[in-house]
Amino acid sequence: MNEEKIIDEKFGNENPFRVPDHYFDEFPQRIMKRIAQQKRRRRMIRWGIAAMMTGCIFSSAFILNNSKQQNTAFEAENNQYIEDALDYSMINNMEIATYLTEAE
Amino acid sequence: MINEAQIITQLKDESKKEAAFNILVHEYQEVLYWQIRRLVISHDDADDVLQNTFIKAWMALDDFRAESKISTWLFRIAINESLNFLEKKKKNSDITSDAIEGLTNQLMSDPYFDGDETQILFQKAIALLPEKQKVVFNLKYFQEMKYEDMSQMLGTSIGALKASYHHAVKKITDFFQQND
Repeated sequence: MNEEKIIDEKFGNENPFRVPDHYFDEFPQRIMKRIAQQKRRRRMIRWGIAAMMTGCIFSSAFILNNSKQQNTAFEAENNQYIEDALDYSMINNMEIATYLTEAE
Repeated sequence: MINEAQIITQLKDESKKEAAFNILVHEYQEVLYWQIRRLVISHDDADDVLQNTFIKAWMALDDFRAESKISTWLFRIAINESLNFLEKKKKNSDITSDAIEGLTNQLMSDPYFDGDETQILFQKAIALLPEKQKVVFNLKYFQEMKYEDMSQMLGTSIGALKASYHHAVKKITDFFQQND
């Protein structure tokens, strides 16, 4: 006898499984609720990433600006030091100019 | 029966996407559930896998190119999800004779299983099949799916599917003769 027929005669094609009452009535609602949650979570992640990127941009701008200010302060401090050194050595600008001209 | 072209258009429209997906869930939940349930056996597992199937489908909607029918696409996701689930389960406990005895106890105590001893024997014989043969047997025997549709869904040649089905039938009848 054909093997498929043996299975069919012995077991048939009936479905021995059942589902809880109203399972298929309630399932679509459950899945759409999960999808709504998923959408909310994705939106929050997107907002989080946007906030982080904005934070990074502002931090970078702040750090850059700060280092520029520090450089300006350093230059001013350096110029003052040279001025002071010249004062202490009691050499004025005229003398330096004369020395440089003679050196040529 | 849903109008497939209309649903696909609505799924691509952000304002109608959710409503169209809700129609899809209503339309395919039962047929997908029974396919999954026959593979994973317990209702709770089938419920988890069915939820994952629809969530994966929702997340992959933008990638759906409508080259295949929606039903084929959903079936493919459902089968992959079921096989992944069985794979994870197999890692925890190999399909040995003990696990098959475990299946008997599981079915006998399952409030959502109405089968008699013959049906339990049938489920045990199916559980012993390799995963691919199990899928092919379920689709062909219970759902009477055409080999052409199965081939498109599983990405396997018709010849290979026929061979899988033949091997599955042979193994089930052998199991039945040894255990009857």
